[in-house]
Amino acid sequence: MMLIRTTAIAWLTVREAVRSKLLLSLTSLLVAGLVGLPLLISSDHTLAGKIQIILTYTTTFATTVLSLTTLWIGCGGVSAEIQDRRFYLVITKPLHRYELWLGKWMGIMVLNVALLALTGLIISTMAHYTIQSAQEPLKEKRHVSEQFLLAHQILRPLTPDWSKITVEATQRLVQSGRIPEKMTTEALQKKLIEELKIQRFTIPPKGGVLFSFQRPAAETLGHDLILNYRFDSTRPERTPVAASWVMGNTPAHQFHIGVTNYPGVPATLALGDDVSAATNILTVAYQRLDDDNQATLMLADQTQEPELLVPYGSFEMNLMRGLFVILCRLAFLAALGLTAGCLLSTPVAVFVAFFIIILMASSGYVEFVATSGVFYVPHEGPAPVQTWLDKMILSLFHFFHGITLPLTRLDPVPLIATGRVVSLEMTLQALGWLVGLYSTIAAVIGITLFNRRELG
Amino acid sequence: MGTQNGLVIEARKLTKIFRDFWHRPKVTAVHGIDLEIRQGEIFGLLGPNGSGKSTTLKMILGLLHPSSGDLTVLGKPPHDVAVKARMGFMPEESYLYKYLTAVEILNFYANLYGLSGSLKKERVEGLITQVGLTAARNRPIGEFSKGMARRVGLAQCLLNDPDLILLDEPTSGLDPIACREVKDLLLGLAKRGKTILICSHHLADMQDICDRVAILLNGDICTQGTVQDLLINPDTLRLSLPAPPRETLSAILDYIEQETGRRPVVDHTGRTLESVFIETVTRHPSTP
Repeated sequence: MMLIRTTAIAWLTVREAVRSKLLLSLTSLLVAGLVGLPLLISSDHTLAGKIQIILTYTTTFATTVLSLTTLWIGCGGVSAEIQDRRFYLVITKPLHRYELWLGKWMGIMVLNVALLALTGLIISTMAHYTIQSAQEPLKEKRHVSEQFLLAHQILRPLTPDWSKITVEATQRLVQSGRIPEKMTTEALQKKLIEELKIQRFTIPPKGGVLFSFQRPAAETLGHDLILNYRFDSTRPERTPVAASWVMGNTPAHQFHIGVTNYPGVPATLALGDDVSAATNILTVAYQRLDDDNQATLMLADQTQEPELLVPYGSFEMNLMRGLFVILCRLAFLAALGLTAGCLLSTPVAVFVAFFIIILMASSGYVEFVATSGVFYVPHEGPAPVQTWLDKMILSLFHFFHGITLPLTRLDPVPLIATGRVVSLEMTLQALGWLVGLYSTIAAVIGITLFNRRELG
Repeated sequence: MGTQNGLVIEARKLTKIFRDFWHRPKVTAVHGIDLEIRQGEIFGLLGPNGSGKSTTLKMILGLLHPSSGDLTVLGKPPHDVAVKARMGFMPEESYLYKYLTAVEILNFYANLYGLSGSLKKERVEGLITQVGLTAARNRPIGEFSKGMARRVGLAQCLLNDPDLILLDEPTSGLDPIACREVKDLLLGLAKRGKTILICSHHLADMQDICDRVAILLNGDICTQGTVQDLLINPDTLRLSLPAPPRETLSAILDYIEQETGRRPVVDHTGRTLESVFIETVTRHPSTP
């Protein structure tokens, strides 16, 4: 019985979108945007650049359009019907208000599933077509295809056990009595770690560095392993650096690839699939060939470390997982909109819901404030003294940062756009956090308010 | 069908106070009214604009919560879903989804009543025929005239074969024939034991069909009783007889004046405009 009623409300929502030409307008907007945007935005004229633009801008465009529409339909779904009194004939029927809320939510989600499926189809078709129809050499096309139209698992270099190393080093310094005065053991260890990291990632002329990666369990199935890396120079001028990558653990399995890179520019290297056949640990060495006295520094920040992209699965499956994560975000937005609509009139509900979205969009600043504990970095002098009001606002930022963290962390767009895998773990997290927790909280609040609301 | 005491709607000291944003009393729309509506009767709630009849109806429908007092509908609180399953409501305006056709909207409401399969089809088709919308069944409601939309409103109200029917201005927007059909339909439903509560300004219609009425003014019930009791004037009689010769009539009038001390008023019996309209239209050759 409940299913019949809820489904009836859901289908009514879908039918309204179809008959009022909302679905048609949205579909037209999506198709025009998804096809037109990559044509309008100029890339770096490389095939890889074109594909990255297609994947980044189309996914972002579809996510933005669907987010705004979902919020708008959600807000109007309840409040507009209360306002024009169409709910008089629905509320007076034998259905619970939660069934009405749920039916509306389901209806919005059916529309979103249809529009996301269309989005996925267009993105996939455009990406494949762009590579196939490109004038670039076959090798280049294959390389771009391997890089972007394949989901890759990311492997980071195995990091040394810094604490163990520093403990040992500290002990040696203590024994030799070379600890500076007024320095605690903890402070010394911290300083040692920083110095060791700098040492590890600083590559002098003719110098080199060795990275080790844990080999993935899955087969590469004939696809290339891809190495992404970037160096920064200690010199302001950006002269190219000649080097050689040495792949493989033993001389019998080793091969060399000569490269010339500009500092600060991200570089990609296709390693083929041969290197995946040896032992459990894959070593990759970088050897500078130039004798220039330019010091090349590889930053210790983990995001600057090289990463090995290992083939994981098809682009289409990855895109589907990514779109599922986006669908989970839309599920939350629909719940948020409906909840606002249960309490407020349509324009006010839309305003409140958009305000929340804008706050979420400013999560970068929120994160900065929450983690740094200051509202801005002063140009000169010490940070100003915080008042009780500052502290109160800071705690609000902490609270809001905590709430929005799953929303900002669960963003599949950068992963889809760079050929990285949208993991099953991420999709499950999106389902759990955004649908299971956030949408449920919004639903409970919305239904409670709706139950208490008089419809006079 | 009804309750143990035979009361379908029972209100005791029912009060509704509308409050402002700060929860301060703004308007007392209904002021401690007592109401008893029995099974099988057609009850009329009359009153000028702002008298509280719509507020009372909304409380019975569970759309508004009483500020104080007791209200039971079919023996239960009005917001109970089980009550709504036995209730049908037709609002004053046709608050229908304009992009749906007559059949689609009735199917939608039938789904909300939990009807399915052959029963749903039978009810929807039967009501489409009963309210005279067979030819327009697949047209969107947005293209309907007000009267046609009212017919859909009436059909949706009867989908669940309700025990209690609540109607707000049921004949508003209907032509006299449709109006007569609706009144006949309501009288038929009452004969089948259905309880009907009507809010209306159309006093003639209410007089035609209501068993009992209550007149509300400023949130209070001023008068309540059977239509017959309220309309009857025990000191006056109306006598219809074939027109006698002038001399005979004069003698009769003189005699009555002598006996009662008041000169009787004499006029011709006439038909109502409604009966003339119905007769003219139904007998016209172009009428199907």
